[in-house]
Amino acid sequence: MHSSDAVREGLIELLPRLRRLARALAGQAADADDLVQVVLERALARSVQWRPDAALDKWVFAIARNAWRDELRARGREQHLFAPEEAGDTVADGSEARHAQQMELAQALATLPPDHREVVALVLVEGLSYDEAAVLLEVPVGTVTSRLARARATLQAHLGNDA
Amino acid sequence: MTPIDDEILQAYVDGALDAADTARVDAALAQDDALACRVRQLRALDAQLRAAFDPVLDEPIPGRLSALLQPTAARATPFTVLEGGRDAGAVRRRATRRWLVPGAALAASVALLAAGLWWQADSSWVRTQDGRQFAAGALTRALDNQLASEPDAYASVAIGLSFRSKDGQVCRSFTVRTPPVRAGLACHTTAGWELPMLGPAVLSEGGELRQAASDLPPAVQAAIDARLSGEVFDAQQERAARAEGWR
Repeated sequence: MHSSDAVREGLIELLPRLRRLARALAGQAADADDLVQVVLERALARSVQWRPDAALDKWVFAIARNAWRDELRARGREQHLFAPEEAGDTVADGSEARHAQQMELAQALATLPPDHREVVALVLVEGLSYDEAAVLLEVPVGTVTSRLARARATLQAHLGNDA
Repeated sequence: MTPIDDEILQAYVDGALDAADTARVDAALAQDDALACRVRQLRALDAQLRAAFDPVLDEPIPGRLSALLQPTAARATPFTVLEGGRDAGAVRRRATRRWLVPGAALAASVALLAAGLWWQADSSWVRTQDGRQFAAGALTRALDNQLASEPDAYASVAIGLSFRSKDGQVCRSFTVRTPPVRAGLACHTTAGWELPMLGPAVLSEGGELRQAASDLPPAVQAAIDARLSGEVFDAQQERAARAEGWR
């Protein structure tokens, strides 16, 4: 099979997970799908760079992470990716209590620095292992685990979890 | 024995401990309510994240995204598919503008500055003519002869992507491996290989992801994105383009 066909078909299968990852990175649904669109275009344009012995999902997630970082740089470091009042877009469940809880989570996520947010998205939302996340982010495993621990502490402090 | 700190507890929750450490944490949890409480908090946070984002998996895919993944034959006019009354082409342009252009422009200007700095130091690869920069010497030979489908690990120049630009020129990305390492884009003209983009680069060290996802500096990728129409050449098209003299 032509490599671009293989990539295209792999992307179709990967699309739901890519959208979930993008939502965890970018926050707001519209921003996340803009990010997904850029990722699809880049992955298709570079499909000859993908080698069938490499996992397509990790390759695409790395493109997604890099595209998200490009966007953060473009918008300026100070600005959060989405205003907390827009966080309603991420809510899938209609009930009031659940809505409030997810608003809170979206706000807490928005306070994380990019280094922490991407680890949360890759490990806790996407379910990559520490090793896989370390390879993708090109950092040592110890960096992944320390960022993840600090991100969790930040989120719990914001959410006031007393579970 | 090391105490059970946050990172060990986190690795326990994430299933990243070996059997011996897992058993050690299990034993500690049975005796230490505070520790057990922290494990519950970690698990509650994970569950909250999954509850927030897993529903995305079941959402319908927006038409503008699935349209991008149609087989080439099925999308003769790929970006004019209507979605919710909006022109998907407009959506795409908006997305491209919002996501790519400022970063690309910045990266391009930084790269141009950097390229300007090392220029005088190394004239054997590059010549200038009428204010335009062209490949010279070994770089010209590599662009003329090398195929990305037949990589030579010992060559001083590595060829990346080849494609036909919107202007109809054949363009090829490349990396010069000898220090100072740099990467760029060359487009074939009647006067030779013009270099619209050339900048410093970092050599990949053979890691798969590096190789696959971030081989090209962003500025070069942006230069490609700005010129690419259609798809990059496959091995056969690349060979055919060489046979045609890259015209």
